[in-house]
Amino acid sequence: MSLWRIAWSYLWNRKFTTALTIISVALGVGLISAVLTLREETERRFVAEGQSFDIVVGAKGNPLQLVLSTVYFLGPLTGNIEWSDYERLRNEEEVAGAYPIGMGDTYRGFRIVGTVPELFEHDWGGGRNPYKLADGKYFEKPMEAVIGAAVAADSRRGVGDKFIGTHGVGGAGGHEHKHHPYTVVGVLERSGTPNDRAIFCSLDSVWQIHQEDPCDNHGGEGEEDLEAPAEDEVDARAEAHVEGVAQVEGEAHDPGEAHDSGDAHDPGDAHDHHGHGAHEVTAVLVALRSPGLRFTFKERVNKGYNAMAAIPVQQIRDLYDQLLGTAKAVLLAIGYLVVVISALSILIGLYMSILQRKRDLAIMRALGASSGEIFGSVIIEAFWVTVLGLCAGWVLGSFVCYCLGMYLSRTIGFSVPPVVWTADIVSAYSAVVLMGMVAGLLPAWQAYHTDVARDLAEL
Amino acid sequence: MVLLDNVVRKLGPGVEFRCDHFHAPPGVQMALWGPSGCGKSTMLNLISGLLRPDRGVVRVDGEEIQKLRERELDAFRGERYGFVFQTFNLLAPFTSLQNVILGMRFADVVPASEWKSRATEFLNRVDLGHRLHSKPATLSVGERQRVAIARALVNRPKLIVADEPTGSLDPKTSTGVMDLLLELCREEEVTLLMVSHDKQLADLLPEVFDCSGLVEEVAA
Repeated sequence: MSLWRIAWSYLWNRKFTTALTIISVALGVGLISAVLTLREETERRFVAEGQSFDIVVGAKGNPLQLVLSTVYFLGPLTGNIEWSDYERLRNEEEVAGAYPIGMGDTYRGFRIVGTVPELFEHDWGGGRNPYKLADGKYFEKPMEAVIGAAVAADSRRGVGDKFIGTHGVGGAGGHEHKHHPYTVVGVLERSGTPNDRAIFCSLDSVWQIHQEDPCDNHGGEGEEDLEAPAEDEVDARAEAHVEGVAQVEGEAHDPGEAHDSGDAHDPGDAHDHHGHGAHEVTAVLVALRSPGLRFTFKERVNKGYNAMAAIPVQQIRDLYDQLLGTAKAVLLAIGYLVVVISALSILIGLYMSILQRKRDLAIMRALGASSGEIFGSVIIEAFWVTVLGLCAGWVLGSFVCYCLGMYLSRTIGFSVPPVVWTADIVSAYSAVVLMGMVAGLLPAWQAYHTDVARDLAEL
Repeated sequence: MVLLDNVVRKLGPGVEFRCDHFHAPPGVQMALWGPSGCGKSTMLNLISGLLRPDRGVVRVDGEEIQKLRERELDAFRGERYGFVFQTFNLLAPFTSLQNVILGMRFADVVPASEWKSRATEFLNRVDLGHRLHSKPATLSVGERQRVAIARALVNRPKLIVADEPTGSLDPKTSTGVMDLLLELCREEEVTLLMVSHDKQLADLLPEVFDCSGLVEEVAA
């Protein structure tokens, strides 16, 4: 019969107090596990999504706001940039792909993102395809929409259903575009990316609504409306949309645009037969031919365009370092505090147990057990409690991550896996085991110094 | 087998245990008899190595145990002694079988491969073959003491020290347990030293050592 078995038998013999001690350890470990996993996973996912586009080009202002609003679909929008800027960007030598997006409306809080169909073909790297259809097809005509998995789940909308967008992205209470219902033509597979809670449609849809709906000029939530040219231009474009004629007056065409013609046809958009010369977009998501070009290209855009370029992954890393780094430190400190308290409860639990069974220890000594074996058996008890607490804490942490993952997936579009084995987690778990062992030292020392004759009393 | 020579052990301020000479030959069954507080338990503790003398010699099986270091004494005790206590002192979390096995596990004189069969054999000898997997709390007091006797003898020690082994038993059970203990000690040819304040019980053993006067007051 090994010391492990002996120690286990004593723990089992006082199941209730052992369970309480294990629970207290589990709480601390669970908290640490959840904090570290959420931090690791959110950072990993944010960074991965930040890597999905090399550059975002939008209106001058706060680059973090630009990245959050256009790549992650979070926070307020920045201003708009000219369509001509998009066309210039698309023809830059370093650019492998440029995808204009226009936002301004929401449906049940989910953003309606006007874009070009080519976006669905964009390679996010690492074999990820967050635009895979679960049902239906991609949009082809104005007022057709492809909705993310979270949108579909939340709104219970599917292919063939119609919905009405609300002006503004800041929350409820905006004007509803009742005369411009969208029809769902496709539903994306759940990807764990911000796409899950986005609604994609053609840019024409967005423009059409904001040109034709008289309420749009009231603005919404402080966001700048897409396309805010002179009134006569609005009329002209509205007419052009209605009639399907691709002609807009007074546009600043890019003279270098090889395909630029009188009808302002966009050669890169097979589905767009309208002119966009005076149109505006919220931002342009840019994929470069090489990630190594990011910084130079960003500088070039910032100097040569009436726009601002931002590198998403850089902004996100800065955000983590500045903001979430502190939050993580605070949460970790709380977690470790709980573990220290748990270690104290191990100490108290074992110490009380040693006091209660001094006689048993004396009997073992009388049977020939050495002081070292007695010491070892108590340390092993501490080890059992710590390891079981660790395992229970891992389960608890995984459960917390699962619940939070469900919530985060629904609200901001990315899921969180169970506790992941990172260097930080392994270090934290090692620290917990060490603390458990240290907590066992005092009771073990007490047991080591068992006064056999006195504790046997009647002998 | 056991020799105490000019042994002195201070028990407290102005009180000390003193034994000028005590000898128990191998195989003897001897009662250490005397009234409460006379020093018989202290004498048993000194013989067991659970107390160390301040002066004098305690020789057991040829070894002067007062000279042994703690670890050596632990091993010596596990190898040569078997203990039977008044309150049985079985370990509550373990079954009868496990309690007997623990006697071998700590003594380390029987190969681990034989622990189970040997423990079963001794529990059968004390007529507890049907309670191998019962925990102490579910045993009667007589059964508990029989488990304790099996545990004490399972290593085939040289010396059994028994402290009031029937002190917690009713008279009928007491007689049965005493008969069993004496019979097994005879069969195993083990030296038995039994502490008792009960003269009638002490007289069941062939030899009786009167412990009266071993504890005395001395000038501080």
